Amino acid sequence: MRLRGSSRMAAAGCLVAMMACGFVAPGTFPANAELVAKESATNKAKRQRRPAPEAKPAPAPDAPPAATAAPTMAAPPEQLEADVSTRSIAVTAAFKGSEVTVFGTVDNSRQPSPESGYYDVVVAVEGALEPAVVRRKSNVAGLWINTHEANFDLAPSYYAVASTRPLEEIADAEVLAKNGIGFENILITVNPETLKSLDAAGLRDFQAAISRLKSREGLYSRDDYGVTFSGRSLFRSTLALPANVPVGQLTARIYLFRDGVLLNRKSTKVGLERTGIERFIHESAHNSPWLYGIIAVLIAMSCGLAASALFDRVRL
Amino acid sequence: MAVSRVHDGYDRCVKADHIKAVSDVCISIGLRTDLGLGARPLDPTPLAPETRPGLPRPTMHIYLPIAEMSVNIFVFFGMGAAVGFLSGLFGVGGGFLMTPLLIFTGVPPAVAVSTGAAQIVASSVSGALAQYKRNNVDLKLGMVLMAGGIIGSIIGVQMVKILRDMGQFDVFVSISYVLFLGVIGSLMMIESLGTIQQSRAGKPAAPRRTGQHSWVHGLPFKMRFPRSKLYTSALPPLAIGAFVGFLVAIMGVGGGFIMVPAMIYLLRVPTSVVVGTSLFQIVFVTAATTILQAATNQTVDIVLALLLMTGGVIGAQFGAAAGASLRSEQLRFLLAALVLLVCVRFAFDLVTMPKDLFSLSDTVRVRQ
Repeated sequence: MRLRGSSRMAAAGCLVAMMACGFVAPGTFPANAELVAKESATNKAKRQRRPAPEAKPAPAPDAPPAATAAPTMAAPPEQLEADVSTRSIAVTAAFKGSEVTVFGTVDNSRQPSPESGYYDVVVAVEGALEPAVVRRKSNVAGLWINTHEANFDLAPSYYAVASTRPLEEIADAEVLAKNGIGFENILITVNPETLKSLDAAGLRDFQAAISRLKSREGLYSRDDYGVTFSGRSLFRSTLALPANVPVGQLTARIYLFRDGVLLNRKSTKVGLERTGIERFIHESAHNSPWLYGIIAVLIAMSCGLAASALFDRVRL
Repeated sequence: MAVSRVHDGYDRCVKADHIKAVSDVCISIGLRTDLGLGARPLDPTPLAPETRPGLPRPTMHIYLPIAEMSVNIFVFFGMGAAVGFLSGLFGVGGGFLMTPLLIFTGVPPAVAVSTGAAQIVASSVSGALAQYKRNNVDLKLGMVLMAGGIIGSIIGVQMVKILRDMGQFDVFVSISYVLFLGVIGSLMMIESLGTIQQSRAGKPAAPRRTGQHSWVHGLPFKMRFPRSKLYTSALPPLAIGAFVGFLVAIMGVGGGFIMVPAMIYLLRVPTSVVVGTSLFQIVFVTAATTILQAATNQTVDIVLALLLMTGGVIGAQFGAAAGASLRSEQLRFLLAALVLLVCVRFAFDLVTMPKDLFSLSDTVRVRQ
């Protein structure tokens, strides 16, 4: 087969060739011991040498895992392809929430079945970044009033993370932090003045308050088993957008993990836009506020007068 | 047939000479109130099915563009109708009920206050027009009050902006409501209980003493108000107007509950023009406040206002009809109880430890 031939040639080379092979021959594994030896220097190779029953020569892509003698196989690296179900979501007058479906495939998938849990996929959808002010109440003379505040210049207005299993099991805290996965690792820009006025513990409280309060509103969410494989390489995840989701660009980021190591990542965008009358009202309120106010008053007056005229007629 | 309970109530209260202390405050507010929609009191029109408030139909949602929330149309329509019913029943504007109710249902206070002002425009305009046609408006006095009101409103709207930026607007609104509703509610409660006791004892209510001058009339910048037969300083009406305008901006109320007693007791305006003039002032000041709030804070939600208005004007019709069969002091007692209830609710929220000490500001999202 052409595929085989190309991988044998690559076997003479090293990692570079291995990449080339992956590029040329997605979906099949060259059964070549030499290649494995070369590869073993890399992380990926280490990972691949784990006794995984499915990492076997598989001439037919959908062959069941065979108990072959060779325990380890070299393979082209997994490629991640992913997209969202829709490019834009309209916030109309009837908007009461929506959902985004993120789906994708793992090319060169080595997992034997959807249930095997060979790969871990994390899908994080982040809303537009916007400033946030968090305030803390304390008791002043018997009344609970806002006394402390923390300003965050940029915080995601929406953040939903779904994964094939709990994030803690998928990777170390360090890896998650590096990739900004999970509530604790959301990138939030603290206002410099707030940074000066608060100590570390205080700031942590305020940051935790953001995720807690946003979670309560349904704006931050976490679904530990929200990503499911529906084939050896096909996965999907559906994330809920509540009705109060702030409009703006949503960024969906998809991460492919294997044994705690990030293999690949992808990101894609979804627009969340006001449309129709909804957009018109919102834009006029902000772009021509005086006119908007005058029209609001005219509507109110005509509504009141029309109602009284109507009821006068009805009663007469 | 705009001659409505406004007139009936008014005549009742004047002829019966029941006017004393706070009692007429309420009645007078009542006058202004029934929203001039021309409900004929004992009209036996049955409840039309389409106007019965709050039919549960949980699937009908609408997204409010400024409050940025998805709400059930029927819940908010029903709220408008319920407050309209109460305002028709008690003869009050309803702003002091509507705005708190919006806040309690999760509408950001700044949006509730501004939208409340727009809704009062709708509920007062027909009453004001009816009063004007009947020549019950002292235009000159109304203009002075209105000028004061607009000044007060400008200050109030700026104050809303500053307090929102500081994160203290919510607590400020709560404290204002506790203070005003507490004082007004207690006074009304005491007065109505007194009246009820008196009428049980069979004693006639003490007649009102008229024709007295107070210190107010000694101030400079005297003006003549022919319609009210007054020759008095322009400062007190300006100040009263400004104070009421300020309240419209920060509390989302019409302010009739301050305006009417102030006109009667401080300015000594004849009762025949009190209601019309106060309504006249309220329409224009709430209209100005709506425009200013929209321009400064972008917090007027037209969709929300429309929901409340439609419910309100319909509810008011039935409220006015229902109110006609109750005695005025009983009505005032019930109203006082309601006012105190709202007051207690605000006070409760202020003094009990919140479930979460932290809160996210709505300022950013509303202003974007």
